[in-house]
Amino acid sequence: MLLESLEVHNFRNLSGKVSWGAGLNIIYGDNGQGKTNWLEAIYLLATTKSFRTQRLQEAIRFNEDLAVVRGLVAQSQEVQREMQVNLQGSTKSILINGKKESVARYLGQLHAVAFTADELDVVRGTPEARRKFMDRGVVSLHHAYVQTLADYNRVIKQKNRLLQDASELEMSLEQAFEVIAPWNEQLIKLSTEIHRARVDYVERLNDVLERRLFERENITIRYVSSLEGKGDLSDYEALIAERLRLRLQAEIAAGYSLIGPHRDDLEILFDGREMRAFGSSGQQRSALIILDLAAISVYYLWHNEYPLFLIDDVDAELDRKRISYLLEYLEGRTQTFITTSKESLVEQFVARASVFQVSDGRVVSDASKEQLISSATGSAESI
Amino acid sequence: MLDYAEPVTKLIDEFKRLPGVGHKTAQRLAFHILRVPEADVERFVEALREVKRKIIFCSVCNNLTDVDPCRYCASPSRDRSMICVVEEPYNLVAVEKTRSYKGLYHVLHGSLSPIRGIGPDDLHLANLLPRLKPENNDGVEVQEVILATNPNTEGEATANYISRLLKPLGARVTRIAMGMPVGSDLEYVDEVTMDKALANRHEM
Ligand SMILES: [Zn+2]
Repeated sequence: MLLESLEVHNFRNLSGKVSWGAGLNIIYGDNGQGKTNWLEAIYLLATTKSFRTQRLQEAIRFNEDLAVVRGLVAQSQEVQREMQVNLQGSTKSILINGKKESVARYLGQLHAVAFTADELDVVRGTPEARRKFMDRGVVSLHHAYVQTLADYNRVIKQKNRLLQDASELEMSLEQAFEVIAPWNEQLIKLSTEIHRARVDYVERLNDVLERRLFERENITIRYVSSLEGKGDLSDYEALIAERLRLRLQAEIAAGYSLIGPHRDDLEILFDGREMRAFGSSGQQRSALIILDLAAISVYYLWHNEYPLFLIDDVDAELDRKRISYLLEYLEGRTQTFITTSKESLVEQFVARASVFQVSDGRVVSDASKEQLISSATGSAESI
Repeated sequence: MLDYAEPVTKLIDEFKRLPGVGHKTAQRLAFHILRVPEADVERFVEALREVKRKIIFCSVCNNLTDVDPCRYCASPSRDRSMICVVEEPYNLVAVEKTRSYKGLYHVLHGSLSPIRGIGPDDLHLANLLPRLKPENNDGVEVQEVILATNPNTEGEATANYISRLLKPLGARVTRIAMGMPVGSDLEYVDEVTMDKALANRHEM
């Protein structure tokens, strides 16, 4: 898949249309000009979400009511589709070739993996960030999993309210069971689906993990169910049904759900030690890149095409040695978009990249390598 | 200060109370009312009054009706051995449109949703259980209760709750198949999908 061009109106400070290169795209400019906004717009087009905010409303330009992000995506040499995300007030609509589409169908068209400062939470933050990382990966393979997650969160929310009510109204355990059982019944099914999907995904990641791409330490990952040590995980459905039954009283006392995959985690180890606690910030960044690359490979093996890869503020996050390794690894694989404010980085990679300079939200020049090279040789001659 | 004269503002506010109507739509509707002849407005007001005056809940199935019992419950041609449980009257209409179901209905007027404060007692459930006794059903024994609540988490919980109530009474309880767009409202399910969902119902 290839994002050929992107047209943006009223999304943050962006406006205009850009035609991208098929390989490495360097978005270059001073801070505050809107480089990251372009990445965010690409990410939004691909995933219908932002990597920065849950409240997309705030991405609509001040005093405007409609933001439009529209891209031309080549599915193959013959098939092109126009994908579009509109933000209007608190509503988001998604369109393919001008017609409204369901999220599940839309997500099948384009996919992006993003390496950003926020995403570092995956290697050093709370389990929630790692669960999100896995869930993004599962959705990239099974789009209908979006609905499973939405249903799960909804059921947990409904059940939590009942657990609060049960303790406030001092219900008997029988009374509480009677009203909670219909929700637990769904939790059992949805939890089993989520558990199975994540375990399967982590296995796929493990199969393609480039364990020593940047460092000499060996990186390993493992899915950690919160039901580990509580019984036979190979019959997850029976196990969680039993745990929900046994722990009902404790859940009522807590006033929220204690049992389910919303308590699970992904363990990331380097040479057997926990990355979150013991990794240096360089090792953590390497680990995240390795995880992102694994996610990209898993996606490729499943769909037989590469997702887009977005790297925000690349030189703030990675040193030159790692950047070189990484870009070399990606060449011939993904259509890659990186942002930087360093001219030296642009100069280093200009020979194999398309370069876009951003000023005040607009791409002011898309210097192709020929132009830059010829101007470079031109100035050399004049000396 | 108000944007418009008080009567206009009041009308806009009333329209905004309606489901799915935001400020802009309310404004448009209000200005439409200001433009149309008074006779049209009278007819509209009368329709509103009449619907509130004449429409009641059927005492048997809770469907909206102007006669009690409603036309389905009173019809001699309906199969009294089957009851299809739906959330809203418009869900009943969706099932009816398939023309493949000839039994009776039971309308709950909602689904379980703790976060919206809706529990079992807030649904029109109390008059369902007595209907399973032949003496309350023209001497006919109910063979099957079809749970056609919406295929979302609330509808699913409601179906599960009702099946737990009905199972001990010995009736066969089935759930319409989930081959329809999940997370959706039955209202939007087309007739073909609804027909299949009914045909492929499973035991609960
Ligand atoms: Zn009736």
